[in-house]
Amino acid sequence: MSDEAITPRAPGKKVPFFSLTRVWTIATSTVTQLVRMKTFYFLLAFALLLLLVGNVSFASSPAQALSTLKKVSFGAIDLFAWLFAIVATALLIPRDIEDRTLYTILSKPVRRGEYLLGKLAGVLVVIGVSLLVMFVICSVMIIWKQAGYMADEQAGGGRPEDIQAALSLISKNGFRIELLAAVYGSFLKASVVAAVTILLSTFASSSLFTIIISILVFLVGHAHSMATDYWLRETDSSMAVQMLLKVFKIIIPNFQLFSFSEGIVAGAAVAPAVLAQMTGLTAGYLVVFLFLSLITFVDKEF
Amino acid sequence: MSENAVEVNNLTKVFRTGIGNQYVVAVDNLSFHVKAGEVYGLIGPNGSGKSTTMKVVLGLMAASKGEAKVFGLDSGDIRARNETGFVPENPYFYKHLTGAETLKFYGKLCGMRGKALKSRVEELLELVGLENAAKRRLGGYSKGMLQRIGLAQSLVQNPRLVILDEPTAGVDPVGSREIRDLILKLKDEGYTVFLCSHLLEQVQEVCDRVGIIFEGRMRREGPLEELIKIETQTAMTLENASPELLEKIADLIAADDSASIIETGHPKTTLERLFIQIAGKRSKESKPADEKEAS
Repeated sequence: MSDEAITPRAPGKKVPFFSLTRVWTIATSTVTQLVRMKTFYFLLAFALLLLLVGNVSFASSPAQALSTLKKVSFGAIDLFAWLFAIVATALLIPRDIEDRTLYTILSKPVRRGEYLLGKLAGVLVVIGVSLLVMFVICSVMIIWKQAGYMADEQAGGGRPEDIQAALSLISKNGFRIELLAAVYGSFLKASVVAAVTILLSTFASSSLFTIIISILVFLVGHAHSMATDYWLRETDSSMAVQMLLKVFKIIIPNFQLFSFSEGIVAGAAVAPAVLAQMTGLTAGYLVVFLFLSLITFVDKEF
Repeated sequence: MSENAVEVNNLTKVFRTGIGNQYVVAVDNLSFHVKAGEVYGLIGPNGSGKSTTMKVVLGLMAASKGEAKVFGLDSGDIRARNETGFVPENPYFYKHLTGAETLKFYGKLCGMRGKALKSRVEELLELVGLENAAKRRLGGYSKGMLQRIGLAQSLVQNPRLVILDEPTAGVDPVGSREIRDLILKLKDEGYTVFLCSHLLEQVQEVCDRVGIIFEGRMRREGPLEELIKIETQTAMTLENASPELLEKIADLIAADDSASIIETGHPKTTLERLFIQIAGKRSKESKPADEKEAS
C-alpha cells in the first residue's frame, strides 16, 4: 500500500451550467418508465368506450348521435389528460424519493431544476402522444359513423332539399379539423395541472396526498372566477379575508380559461389568437410553478 | 500525493426532530481527509453518522456547520459530482431498465453519448461480469448483481473518487469477495475509494486508512496497520516445526526475563475463506457435469 504504487486519475471534463441533454435524458427515461408501467393500456379502454358509444346510441337523429359521440369522446380525452397528468406526476417524483433512485441521479452532475424539468417534460410527452392517438381513434370513429349516416340518408330517398339539409346537419355535427384545437386545449390544461402537481410533490410526503390535493386544486381552479368574484364583492369581508382571496386568485390557476375546448366540440369556431394567448398563459403558469417547485426542491435534503 | 480527494473540516449536521426546539446532532465537528489514490474506510455502528457524512460529501445534504470538499471543490458544486461515483447500500435504480440501459442512462446524465458511451457500457459490464445479463431488467437481478451494476454505474463517467455505502451488505460471501476484489482493482487503476461500512473484517481487507466514527465524532483515525498493530506483541507462524524445535523455542522464551508466551496453537482460517474455498471447489466440479447435461 505504498504511495509509489498510486497513480491518481486525471480530472473530469467541464460540466455545463445547464444541459438540455440531461433534461432530455430524464424526460426519455420518464417516458420509458410510464410506457413500461403499461399506462398505454388505457388507450384500449378508450377505443372500447368509443365503440360502445358509437354503436349503442339512444339519440333520435344521426346529427344528435354524432354530437353525443363527439361530446363523450372529447370529454373522455379531457378527463384522461388532466387525471393522467395528476396521477403520473404524483407517482414519479415521490417514488424516486421513496425508492431513493433520486440519490443516484442527484449524485451525478445533474441540477435539481434539470431533474424537475425532465420529469415534467417526460409526462407531457406521454400525454401529448396519448392525446394524438386518442384524437386519431376518435376521428376515425366519427368519420366512419358520419359516412354511414350520410349513406343511409341518401339511400332513404325524399326531396333533394330535405336530403341536402339532413346531410348538412350531419356534416355540421360530424368531424372538423378544428377538433384538434380542442385536444390542444386539453393538452394545455393538463400541462398546467402537471406543473401544479410537481410543485405539490416537491414537499408532499406521499403520492396519495399529492393526488388528493392536486385534484382539489383542479376542482377549485374550475370554480375560480365564480368563487373569487363572489367573495371579493362581499363588503363585510375583513381585510385579511380579502388579501387571502387575492393570494388564492393568483396561486390557483384559472382552469375555466381552458374551457374553450368544450365550445369547439359543440361546434364553435376558435380564433388562432385565442390559441396563441392560451399557449402563452400556459407557458407562464409552467414557468411560475416550476420556479416555485425549484425553490422548494433545491434545498430539500434526502 | 499532496492532493486530497475528500476534505471534511469541522462538519456538524443537526436534524430537527418533531415539533419545537428538539434537535439531534448526527455529526459533531467531524474532520478527516481522504488522500487521492487511497482506499479510506469510515467505520462505525448504525446511527453513528456515517451515511449523513457521506450524503454531505455527495452534495445530497447541506452541512449545518463546517464544510466538505471533493478535490478542492465544495461538495454542493455540480463539478464535484462529476468527479464522484456513488454506490448506494441498496439498489436505488429504475427496475424497469435493463443493465445496459441503466449504464447508458447514467452515462448520458454525465454528458456521454454515441460510440464512447456504448464502448464504456460494454467495458463496465465486462468489468463487473454482467455481460450476459446486460439485456435483463434490473427487477430480475439478484442483490449481488444489483450491487455490481451499482458499482458499474458509479464508474461510468470515469470519476476520480468512488464512494461506496455498505458495499457488501446483504451480499453472499462469494459476491462479497468479488466486490472487494473490484475495490482493490479500482485502487490499482488509480481511483480513490471512500467507503462506509460496519462490516469491520471487510474494511480491514481493503482499506489503507480507517476512521472510526461513533456518535457523530471521530474516535480514532490513521493507517490501518498502525491502528490494529499491538506494539508489545510479536507473532511467528512456523511450518512443519518439530515438537523438539517448539520445545527449544519455549525454553529460550522461558529463559528471558521479560518475554512470555501468550498463545500457541494452529492458525485458523476464517469461516468466510472456508466457505469460498468449498463453494469454488463445488462450482468447478459441477461445471463439467452441467456441460455433460447440456450436451
